[in-house]
Amino acid sequence: MGADLTTASRFPDLELADHSGVRRRLSELAEGDPLVLNFFRGWWCPKEQAFFRRLVRLQDEAEVAYSRLVSVSVDQSLELSAFRAGLGARWTFLSDSDRIYLDELRLRETTDGLHHPYLPATFTLYPDLTIHSAYNGYWFWGRPSNEELRQDMRAITRAIREDWEVPV
Amino acid sequence: MNWCWFAELATPTAGTLASAEVLDLDGRGVGVLAAWAAGRKPVADAVRMDARIVNPSGAPAWISLVLLSRDRSPLFDDPAVSGALRAVLSYPPPDAVSTFVRDSSRFAGAVTVRRGGPADLHSDPFARLGRARVLRVGPGLFGRAASVPGPVIQRYAGKPWPAPGF
Repeated sequence: MGADLTTASRFPDLELADHSGVRRRLSELAEGDPLVLNFFRGWWCPKEQAFFRRLVRLQDEAEVAYSRLVSVSVDQSLELSAFRAGLGARWTFLSDSDRIYLDELRLRETTDGLHHPYLPATFTLYPDLTIHSAYNGYWFWGRPSNEELRQDMRAITRAIREDWEVPV
Repeated sequence: MNWCWFAELATPTAGTLASAEVLDLDGRGVGVLAAWAAGRKPVADAVRMDARIVNPSGAPAWISLVLLSRDRSPLFDDPAVSGALRAVLSYPPPDAVSTFVRDSSRFAGAVTVRRGGPADLHSDPFARLGRARVLRVGPGLFGRAASVPGPVIQRYAGKPWPAPGF
């Protein structure tokens, strides 16, 4: 049975190599902050390239808002590193080139028999990896807009920061 | 506590968390670098550093060290500092990195640790903010830390970036 990836469930604490080849845990990458986690087909997909250009525009806000981004695909670390550098992304990319979580997460894109990639999906997570929202990106319009991600980050931040209401 | 004190000394001293002798590029001894546990400030020039990069069993390393005097320290929120942090996140990750803070608002420098060789440190982004010295540090001070998960460039409650948590 695969993981339950619906709202209020706990996302599995994935352990994968990052874009520089160092093994990382998702919970460590969150470091106590809200997290946008996205699974993408690969660098070659035009829809992913369009979506990443959107995320790169969001990173300027995320970097000052104590919010993390993590992206996962089946690409090798070196490919991820090159893709990340080309995008100008400054967050962590994770490589599941051995496809160890594809089926556990039930995120295998079965319609692509060539690359066997991840189904495009985006999750917004609390620091403890509890799912706030899940977006199915198989069709491009199913992906979250930056405004939707902002709203999710706002809701999570409001819930976890005790000083959301300014201390007096 | 995920920060510690850090300072450059002329000679070794007792009571440190970790310390190591330092050589310049010509192999001359130029003093000692030391870290102390968080708490009472150990020496007048001590600055706060991410404690995760300290390892008393750490191997020798090359470092790029930028230590700014109080009157040369820019605000941590200065765009030049933010730009250097973005560059750190963009470049191949070092073995370890930490900024220094002296108080709640000022950037006091940074240390970047690599073990490949001194040439790997010539593009230290923090050299834009002050004189960067490339030094050889003996064993027993710096370890390896996982690369910084971006894109956050803000400090948490005045801690030295990238130490996490409020």
